Amino acid sequence: MFYREAGQFYTSYAKDQGIFQLRQDKYGLWGILFIAFIVIPVGLYLLVQGGLMAASTKDYLYNSIFLLLLVNSMAALGLNILTGYCGQISLGTAGFMGVGAFAAYKFSTGMNYRNQHEDDAGELVSQLVPMLPPIDNPLILMILAGAVTSVVGVIFGLPSLRIKGFYLAVATLAAQFFLVWCFSRVEWLYDYVSSSTIQVPPMKLFGLVVTGSETVMRDGQQVTIYPAAETKYLICLATVVFFAFVAKNMVRGRIGRAWMAIRDMDIAAQLIGIRPLATKLLAFAVSSFFCGVAGAMLFIFYLGALEGAEAFNINESFAVLFMVIIGGLGSITGAFLGAAFITLIPIFLVIFFPWLGGQFGIPVSTALVEHIQFMIFGALIIIFLIMEPLGLARLWQIGKERLRQWPFPY
Amino acid sequence: MKHSERKFGDTLLKVDNITLRFGGVKAITDVSFEIREKQIFAIIGPNGAGKTSMLNVINGFYHPQEGTITYKGNPRHQMKPHEAAETGIARTFQNVALFRGMSTLDNVMTGRLLKMSGPSMRYYHNKLANMPVINYLTYPAMWFGDFLLDSLYWGPYQKEEVAHRKAAEEVIDFLEIQSIRRTPVGRLPYGLQKRVELGRALAMEPDLLLLDEPMAGMNLEEKEDMCRFVIDVNDEFGTTIALIEHDMGVVMDISDHVVVLNYGRKISEGTPAVVQADQDVIDAYLGVAHEEDLNEN
Repeated sequence: MFYREAGQFYTSYAKDQGIFQLRQDKYGLWGILFIAFIVIPVGLYLLVQGGLMAASTKDYLYNSIFLLLLVNSMAALGLNILTGYCGQISLGTAGFMGVGAFAAYKFSTGMNYRNQHEDDAGELVSQLVPMLPPIDNPLILMILAGAVTSVVGVIFGLPSLRIKGFYLAVATLAAQFFLVWCFSRVEWLYDYVSSSTIQVPPMKLFGLVVTGSETVMRDGQQVTIYPAAETKYLICLATVVFFAFVAKNMVRGRIGRAWMAIRDMDIAAQLIGIRPLATKLLAFAVSSFFCGVAGAMLFIFYLGALEGAEAFNINESFAVLFMVIIGGLGSITGAFLGAAFITLIPIFLVIFFPWLGGQFGIPVSTALVEHIQFMIFGALIIIFLIMEPLGLARLWQIGKERLRQWPFPY
Repeated sequence: MKHSERKFGDTLLKVDNITLRFGGVKAITDVSFEIREKQIFAIIGPNGAGKTSMLNVINGFYHPQEGTITYKGNPRHQMKPHEAAETGIARTFQNVALFRGMSTLDNVMTGRLLKMSGPSMRYYHNKLANMPVINYLTYPAMWFGDFLLDSLYWGPYQKEEVAHRKAAEEVIDFLEIQSIRRTPVGRLPYGLQKRVELGRALAMEPDLLLLDEPMAGMNLEEKEDMCRFVIDVNDEFGTTIALIEHDMGVVMDISDHVVVLNYGRKISEGTPAVVQADQDVIDAYLGVAHEEDLNEN
């Protein structure tokens, strides 16, 4: 009744080319952004202040759910550009995210290298020598991480001119394994630590502590300031929203049309004057940039410390691929929906089953919950793919079409 | 005005002694012809005569082993399809090759891709491209500048997009497909898909338009529409058209010049009337009575 195009006419091409065909869609998006940026932080703050929610619950929500959701959305956006829009299947997403994380680490610590020499006593002395000044601005770090990852992505995208479909998937799988191997074998990447873990150094943004902690003198007392969960959340949210906007602009403009042309019919695309290699490499570069930013975000904000081989193993690649497929190939909304589905359903199941068992007085062990979670999650994915192969984005679209007709379907 | 009385321009494309082999199979043997500006040029022949291969050669998909192609007065090197597109050759396919996931409008807009270049690239081509060294140094920066504008859909880029939308809308108006502007082309009926494909080719504003069986599988009405569009394109925009078609009625009616291929060889050439009367052509289409058969009778 309220959701229809009646009375909305566009008199210029500029307006007709807008992101939203319907005014209601535009308001809807502003509404979602309003909730994400203002209602959630303020609401949770008030809930905690009012004693309705424990402060730890709030931090759990931010640190374990919202941040993970944002990181996954970012990675899914990146893969969706490559797979959904340009039609190149990639299984190297986690590897590329890892490149972003390690690039962020190296830039934040100043690109240390090890200088080994013998001192006067003939003993081997090794010291870390920085090559660049350390960067402690997370935004700049994310951009740099993205840039490094795009270069790596372009290198691994080169075979895509000759290899297509499943074979390309296998080629990118090689990238995944090679990169993960680097994360645990190339000592320079993790500053020669024996455990091969990297840890995020303290960072500040606009005077706010983002990672690590800071000790200040206040009223003659030493006070340690820990980063607020809200700060991390808002930085990640702003980054993801910005890059989603960029992605949408790319795919609705000439770049996106070239990608989709290559995806849908590459021979005809060449006849129109699209250079297949350049176009595919651009998709690899942009997609890897997004994945790199996602990796940097995962490292700086969500994990804080990680071991490359563990955090960026093949399972993560598959998870992102599932997000893109379940969310809907070739849809920006789909990337978010898919990320939400894959991220939230397991968390929900983990909470739901012990609660359900508690209702009937049946003790539910964590191992059981884990197994049930796998079973239900797998079943849900299969059911989804059979019922709607085009993903959640298509369901969303069908829903909107129904809504347009409701309540008078004629 | 009768077609035979029409005035044509200079030679646009000259094909000289082209031979194309796939391993031991000769697809095209020693074929030569000339396409002149503003002509409607038809290539006909029985199935497997090498017509589509000929278009693919002109397009740059196949590289002939022997012979030369002269386009716009310049002998052509081995080129890739996208380079052919840059020189103004557009093409439609025998079996529709549209971008199925995109709307009609997007398909036509994709045809404008080569014409779209951002402000920095335009500056580069006007000012910097001829300077030595500087052209190599500035190219990445200029390209990246446009890329950033594109990704923000901001200012100059939006103007660009609107200008090309206008051009695309003109094509859409010309082909009378306004009502299916937003429909994904995968959902359209076959006849309309062929029309959209023609639209995509027209959006490139080509000098030479290659149509591979534009009327295959169409009913009478759709064929008449398509003929009208082909003739209109030729009349209004002065586009040279080379087409392959099996419907002899259509070919004889609309084309100015016909080349007949059979088993990869040119067996006849000339105005429709000349070709129609050629005994070799009649034999190729209807078959020849072999001597043994005659003897048996």
